[in-house]
This record gives sequence, structure tokens and C-alpha cells, in this order.
Amino acid sequence: MLTSLFICLLAVALAPLFSAVITKTKAFLVGKQGPPLLINYYTLAKLLKKGSVYSESTTFVFQTMPVISLAVSAIAILFLPIARMPALLSFSGDVILVLYLFGIARFFLIIAALDTASPFEGMGAAREAYFSFLCEATLFTVLMLFYKLNGTLSLNDYFTGPNAISIWRPEGAILLLIAIALFVVLLAENSRVPVDDPATHLELTMIHEVMILDHSGPDLAFIEMSAWLKLLFYATLIADLLLPELSTITAVPAFFAVITAIYLTIGIIESITARFRMRLVPKFILTSFALAFFAVILVLEM
Amino acid sequence: MNTIQTLLLAVFVLSSIPIASIALYSQPQIAKKLGTIGILLGCLMGLWSVWQGINETGIQSLTYSWQHILILSVSMDNLSAFFLLTIFLITGAAAVYGFHYLNEREKGLRTLINQALLGILASAMALVVVAHDMVTFLLAWELMSISSCFLVVYDYEQKATRHAAYIYFIFTQAGALFIFAAFGWLHGLTGSFSLSASAPVPESTKLLIFFLAFAGLASKAGIFPLHIWLPHAHPAAPSHVSAIMSGVMIKMGIYGILRLYLTIAPDSLAIGRTVLILGMVSGILGVVYAMGQNNIKRLLAYSSIENIGIILIGIGIGMIGMSSGNPIMAVCGFTGGLMHVLNHAIFKSLLFMAAGSVAHGTGTLAIERLGGLMKQMRITGLASLIGAVAICGLPPLNGFVSEFFIYNAAFQSRQLSNMDFLLTVLGAISLAVIGGLAVACFTKATGIVFLGEPRTSEARHAHEAPLSMRYAMQFLATMCIAIGILPTVFAKPALKSAISMVTTMTHQPTTLLQTQAIMDLTTRISWGSVLFLLVCAALWWLRVILYRHKPLSRTCTWGCGYTKASPRIQYTGSSFAASVLEFFRPFAPIHEECQEPVGVFPTKARYHSSILDIAETLAVQRIAMPVVRAMRSLRWIQHGSLQIYISYIVLAIAALLVVTWLWR
Repeated sequence: MLTSLFICLLAVALAPLFSAVITKTKAFLVGKQGPPLLINYYTLAKLLKKGSVYSESTTFVFQTMPVISLAVSAIAILFLPIARMPALLSFSGDVILVLYLFGIARFFLIIAALDTASPFEGMGAAREAYFSFLCEATLFTVLMLFYKLNGTLSLNDYFTGPNAISIWRPEGAILLLIAIALFVVLLAENSRVPVDDPATHLELTMIHEVMILDHSGPDLAFIEMSAWLKLLFYATLIADLLLPELSTITAVPAFFAVITAIYLTIGIIESITARFRMRLVPKFILTSFALAFFAVILVLEM
Repeated sequence: MNTIQTLLLAVFVLSSIPIASIALYSQPQIAKKLGTIGILLGCLMGLWSVWQGINETGIQSLTYSWQHILILSVSMDNLSAFFLLTIFLITGAAAVYGFHYLNEREKGLRTLINQALLGILASAMALVVVAHDMVTFLLAWELMSISSCFLVVYDYEQKATRHAAYIYFIFTQAGALFIFAAFGWLHGLTGSFSLSASAPVPESTKLLIFFLAFAGLASKAGIFPLHIWLPHAHPAAPSHVSAIMSGVMIKMGIYGILRLYLTIAPDSLAIGRTVLILGMVSGILGVVYAMGQNNIKRLLAYSSIENIGIILIGIGIGMIGMSSGNPIMAVCGFTGGLMHVLNHAIFKSLLFMAAGSVAHGTGTLAIERLGGLMKQMRITGLASLIGAVAICGLPPLNGFVSEFFIYNAAFQSRQLSNMDFLLTVLGAISLAVIGGLAVACFTKATGIVFLGEPRTSEARHAHEAPLSMRYAMQFLATMCIAIGILPTVFAKPALKSAISMVTTMTHQPTTLLQTQAIMDLTTRISWGSVLFLLVCAALWWLRVILYRHKPLSRTCTWGCGYTKASPRIQYTGSSFAASVLEFFRPFAPIHEECQEPVGVFPTKARYHSSILDIAETLAVQRIAMPVVRAMRSLRWIQHGSLQIYISYIVLAIAALLVVTWLWR
């Protein structure tokens, strides 16, 4: 339990650093030096020092959104077995709770964007609403597959215990499909290239960044932190899937190595691919659904 | 006084006091007060009897016979009690809401009649769920259909309202015919009118009877593709009537399906599979059509179809569990479906009432003409926000409770055959997709209507709803939160009826252990909700500390350098929904009418788009129009002259006599 708590705190503390790995990778691949690895901590400190400017159009919804968003990401991390260590909190069905909590965060993100009366934010909100329901389909297919393999319904039981799911098991080849599907969902849910471009700040091409255009100060810090934690949540899911059975001492470094590899991959993909046209994004996300559903059928035939 | 007598007294009070108050029509305000108090009193008594009914284990019944020809019997079991809870809860809130909602002085008598019909509708629904034999059921069913039909035509001056009532009347009566046919067939086979005994009926006939009645019940419940009347009738009716119709009355169709399922107790998996598939279709298409609507009440009407879909997914999974010998799956599925009946009744009435307040405060229901109402209509806005979060099935509100149960039922499917496992997987996936689409739909409904800037002067000069309307909304919003945080209290009656359903079907008592395992689910939900609220509260406190002594200022929204922003540049509801609708285009074609500006000095241009309901389009093009065309050739029969009609009757009787004479 204490180890879990320690690893959980470590992961939360390192989440901003990992995100900076992506930025650094991108800079490196185009031959630039890029911002320091600690850039996100500086940003956080800077934002927390500032005050806020609120639009006259906005209501209380605009100000509750950052709180709900961060609360949801934090709770999600609590239910997650990081590095295959037992999760801090767990009950049968917690995975449904976590996915639906992400739903309420999304609900408030969208209406907070509409609250500003800005056409840009409205556009981002519409896209967020559109792409997220496709991701839900993939995620629940994956859950059904995990349930079929493992017979439980909690994040903790998926990745810990004798029945743990891992690609090193006999049916690992099928789980490779799931890892890819989850990676696609990671890219879509966390607004990375090729679904969204986190680097474009002032264009009509973006989703997440445009929805938080009007937020500032500590509110923005909450949102940024929440985004880093959410990315960490999905990355950990994939890392747990890829991690072999290891002792505690080796599992933690191995886990962080895998996480770094995942973030590096995200950075490499962002450097070598362009963002898709909006029309292609649903097809991209549906590919992940097709992969997951195919995996379910394969498991049925086993 | 025993439970059933209390209930019948409540039904009597519920219908008679509003009817009696019509006599005072010269003093409409007093009469209205009296009628509202009567309905409230009836509902409270009804809730008291429900409380008794839930705590009793046995089935209570009462029979009344007239000349040994007409035998009417009523009885109350756990299932009836659960539906009665929904009926009385929502009717009470709607009556309070209606007190200030229908407040036009010159329509005094009409308002009173409307109120009386409301009482009759609630009584009729109560009788439907306690009917113990087919005759009582059908009598109450018809009373319910006809009184609700009259309730819809409150604004009969408007052509659209009359049209809506007409469509509703056709659907409800045609549906009733199917139920009559099925009941007649069942009576012919068993020789009994009872709705409880399962006499020996061959399995294949059981299926036919079930699906025959199912067609009728489905048209009442608004299951795709028999939902066509629903988006017409709900927007036309006054808002508190829509709340009852959408929140409670369509659930009578669900009740009918469950009761019939219990009565004929089929073993076949076909029923569960069909119900599950219909649930998925209704759920997904309902929410897609809802997204495309530009009228708030029409949007809510389509969303009712979606929620009926969710209920059917729950019940369908329950039935599959039943037929495949998996009692826990059955109990979870039925509990989820029943909980969603109650939850949907609460949040959908809340949303219809909020829509009524918007219409009351601004004079319009068109989403594109509203905006920024949260500032002037704070209570309505908050109520609508709570309703929207609840209807999306998001924690910590009540919608999540029922969906959690349904997911748990779906996650009991490991032992099923591949075909059923895949179906259940699809059920769970559609539930997730419905949830995602509902978020898109209801962020549109709340975001465009209540947030941002007012788009027209109507929205700018909005005013908050009067007292009784606010009370009703506050009550229902509190219920949403209460069920979300303390589901144990409210899930118990649903669980009890689900368990009694399963035990009557399988004839073996569910062990206490299994019940406990399912009750634990509710503890987990409330645990999760409380955790979420606590973390939110802690972070809010952190936020307050972080903002201490910090400069806060207010200015206009950042327009990326553009400073002359007007409310007209905001994203509209149609554009918000456009990309999702594009994705579902084959099922939801968009009809566009466009007159482009022409010439050097263009004068007039217009553009209109609306989403087409494929069920309605196909029903009109492929069924209604060919029938009308065929019937046109028979038009010569209709002369309008009384003598000829009388001779028709005489001839018909003579012909029948000859036929029966020859038949011997």
C-alpha cells in the first residue's frame, strides 16, 4: 500500500515532466534545442502566481470547469494500478465510474467553452463532442474484452493478481491489437497529432487548446495539470498492458522506461505526421474500434 | 385500511376533486387552487399506499363484479408499486408546476378542464399498473390514451397542435387494437382474463402473442420505428403535460411489456434478443435525431425515445439472462431498466419543465433564438443543467445509477453463448455510444440555450419563472441529486420488483447472498459520488486559497484580436450538431430548402434545413400515401347523407345474418 502511494505520488509529480518529453522530442527531431525539460513546472508556477481575467459573457460554469476537470483526472489516477502495483482505491465496476467521470469532465469542458460566446471555442466544443463518442465505443469494447479474459470489472484486477492481463500471456498477440487501439484513443482523447495539434494556438484547426482560450491564471494551471494527468492515465494503461511480470524493484524503473518510450513515440509521431483533415479523424478513431472489436471476436474463437 | 383500498381512495381523490372543482369555474383561481390541492392530496395518499405496498411481501387484490358480466379486479405487487411511485411523484410535481404555468385569465375554464384531465390521466395510469385482468387493463388503458389526447389539444387554436393530437390519436388507437388482438387470442387459448396465471400455451404461440401485443405497447412507449407520434405530441402539449406524458405515460408501454412477459413467461431467447436490438436502435437513433432538433421540446421528445432505448437495453439483457439461466444478470438488467424508468421520469420532467419556463420567460422554444439565459433565469438554468448532467448518465447524479446497473448486467455475460455474448457486448457498447452522443446533445441544449450571449431580444429580456414552477423544478432537481448520492434507498424498490419478477419466472427464491451482492453495487455508486464531490470540494477550497489577493478583472471574451464581436458570431446549435449528423447521414438525412440571393441587388434569400426522421418519411411514403391513394377509389361510398348511412347499417346487419345462417 505504501509503495503504491509512493509510486502514485511520484507519477503525479512526474506527469508534467513526461509531457515535456514530447516537446523535447519534437524540438530534437527538427534540429532545435527546445525548451528545458522542466518547462511545464515553470509554466505551472507562473500560472499559479497570476490572477485571472474573466469574460463578461461567462457564468459560474466557466469557473467550475477547471475544478471538475482536475478532480476527475486525480480520481482516475487513484484507481489506476501504476506499474502493476495495487491501486490505491478499487472496487468492482470502478472502471465504469472512471470512464463516466471523464464524461462529466468533458461535459463541463464543452459547456464552459460555449459559455464564453466565442465562435472559436464553440467550434472546438463541437469537435470534442463529436470525436469523444467514437472513443467511448473503443474503450467499452476493450473493457468487454478484458472482462472476457479476466472475469473482473476493475482496473486494479485487470493488471494485478494471478489473472492479470498482459501481452506476455498466451493470448498476447490479440492484446497487441488492443494496445494499438488504446494508443489511438490516447492520441484522440488527449488531443495529440494526428487528431489535434496542441502547437497551433490561433487557428481554426484545433480542439482542446481552443476550448481553453479564455482561461487564465490558476484556472488554466488546473486545466493543464488535469490534461497531463489524463495523458498519464492512458499511457499507464498501455504501459501496464506491455509490462511483463516483474518484482517491485524492477517493475518501477521498467514502468517509467515504458512510459518514456510511449511519450517518445507520441513526440515522434507528432514530428513526422501532419494533422489529419477533420473528415479523416472519425475514420482514424473508428480504426481503433475495428481493431478492438476484431480482438473480441478472436478471443471468442479461442 | 389495507394498501389497495388506500390506493383506490387516492385514485378517487386524484380524479374527483379536480373534476368537482370545474363547478367553481366562475372563480377560476380558487377552483384551480382546489384542484391542485386535490391532485397533490391524491398523490400523497398514493405515495403512502406505495410505501405500504413496497414493504409488504404478498400480493393484495380486490375484485368488483357487476351482474357477473363485468368483473374488474385490481392487485398490487412490487412491480405495480414501483410504477405507482413514478406516477404519483411526477404527477404531484407537474400539478404544482401547472398551477402558475397555465395562468391565462381568459382561459379559466379551459385550464380547469385541463387540470381535471390531468387528474384523470394520473388515475388511469395508476389503474393500468394495478389492473389484474385484461378487461380492467384495457379500460384503464383507453381512458389513459383518450385523456392524454385531450390534454395535448390544450392550444387547439393552433393547427400544428390539432395535427399532433390527430397523429397521436391514430397511433394510440391502432396500438390498442394490437393489444386487444393479443389479449383476445390469449383469452381464446386459456379461457381466462387473468393477467397473472400462466396457463399452458404452446411456445411458438407465446412468441406470436407477445410480439403482437409488443407492437401496440411499443407504439405507446415510443420505440423506434413506432415513435412517430411522440415528437409531434410532446412539443404541442403544455409543458407539464409533456412532462407527465414523456416521463410517465410512455413508461406504461414498458410496464405492459414487462407484465405480459411475466404473464406468458416464454422460455425463448428470441424475445430478449429482439428487445435488446430494438433498444440499441431506439437509443442511438433517438439521440441522433434529438441532436438535430432546433426546438427544445422536440429535442426532449426524441431524447425520450433514446431513454426508452436504454430501458429496453436493460430489460433485454435481463430477459437474456432469464432465458439462459443467469439470475444475477436478469436481476441486474431488470433493476437497471426499472431504475431508469424512475430516473428518466424525474430528469425528463425536470427538463420539460425547464423548457416550459424558457417558453414562459422568453416566448420562444427555438434553440437558435436563445442564449445566455443563465443570467436572468438562474433557477431554471441550474435545474436544466442538473437535468442535463443526469440525463447523460453522468455521476454523481441519478442517471448514472441505472446505467451502472445495466453495465453490471452486461458484465455478467461471460458464460453465455458466443452469439448472446456478442449481443450483450454490442448492448454495452451502444450504451456507451448513447452516453457519448447524449453529452453532445445536452451540451447543445444547455450550452446554446443557457450559456453564452443572448442571440435575440427575446432572450435578452427573459424573466425567471414564477414561484410554483420554480418549486416543482427545485424538487425534481433535488431528487436527481438525492438518488445519485444515496441510490440504496431508491434502488431497493426496483431491486425488490426485479427479484420478485425473477422468482415468479424461475420459481426458485434468489438467495439472500445474491441480493446483497447487488445491493453492494449501490453502495459503491454512492461511495464514488461522495468521493467525487469531496475531491471537487477540496480543489474548490484550494482554488479559493490560490485566488486570495490576486487581481481579478472582467472584460469581453477574447476574440483572437477581433474586438467587435456580436452575439451573432456565436456557434449555433445547428453548426454544433452538424458534424455528428453528417456521420449518421444515412439514418438521418438532412432536408434543405435554399433560395440563393440572385442579381446585382439581391432582394430575398432564405435557407431552411431540418433533419428527416427516416421512420416517419418511410411510413408516410411507403405506407400512408399508398393506402390513401387506394382508398381514394372507394370515396364514392361516403355521401354525407344520413339515409344512405342508415341503409349501410341495415344492409351490413342483414349480410351478417345471412352469413351466420349460412355458416351453420
